[in-house]
Amino acid sequence: MKYIFLIFLFFCNICFGNSINDQTDQITKNLRCLVCQGQSVYESNSDFAVDIKKLVKKKIKENKSDKEIYNFLKSKYGEVILYKPEINLKNIVLWILPLVFLFFGGGIIFFRNRYEK
Amino acid sequence: MQIKKNIKLVLLFILLSIAFIGFYISLFKDKKVDPQVLINKELPDLNGKSLFSNNNIDIKNLNLDEAFIINIFASWCAPCKVEHPFLVKLKNQNLKIIGINYKDTDKNAKLFLSKYENPYYKVLVDKDSELSINLGAYGVPETYLVNSNNVIILKHIGPIDENFYNSILENK
Repeated sequence: MKYIFLIFLFFCNICFGNSINDQTDQITKNLRCLVCQGQSVYESNSDFAVDIKKLVKKKIKENKSDKEIYNFLKSKYGEVILYKPEINLKNIVLWILPLVFLFFGGGIIFFRNRYEK
Repeated sequence: MQIKKNIKLVLLFILLSIAFIGFYISLFKDKKVDPQVLINKELPDLNGKSLFSNNNIDIKNLNLDEAFIINIFASWCAPCKVEHPFLVKLKNQNLKIIGINYKDTDKNAKLFLSKYENPYYKVLVDKDSELSINLGAYGVPETYLVNSNNVIILKHIGPIDENFYNSILENK
């Protein structure tokens, strides 16, 4: 019985530990290593990246959601730490401009075709 | 028709030249990311074990009632030795400096401070770098000037230089 319990604990540890590691990997892949050239926190072994990885793992163990972890790091390092920029007033032009070009260009092509016909 | 075509080509050439110059200049720009998000924000809770006693120190509860400096340092960090004379000078200007000892052993940190003179009013131990991350730090050394209302006014990444030393004195 004792051995069965120990085996159960062992498997629980593997499953639970792996899910925390997977979640840490997932989150750190979306974080920019601020002291590296073009690397994510996940890819880097710099002191900064190692510290952030440890912190993310700790926060996951504290049952913090992904959003809470991203928000915490954003409040400390700014939006630059996130690979995926959020839509806000400062960068709205960057989000909208491709659509404007698409409609404008599409419009030109459409009307030119019509005119030539 | 030919003139119109030439004008278009010239315009295209000018546009491409501007884009090329823009990209070329950006190659030589300092790319150190420093969003300074904590500037003019309240000091986060910084609570840690003291280096010299087993007591816990909460920086906000120190009630310093005057501007003070927070400096992140480590005995293994060479630039920390470079900036050390500036910290001693600041201490001699009656500025209180709170040290955050980053990923260091207590023994080495104490040895470092006895060898180079201790400029710190209090030193907090930060073995797992949580205090430093809470301060939005990138590494060591880093220095912050905090006013009497616990608001961060200045932040400096890297060893303190003459310019930052002067701006501390101007803004304290």
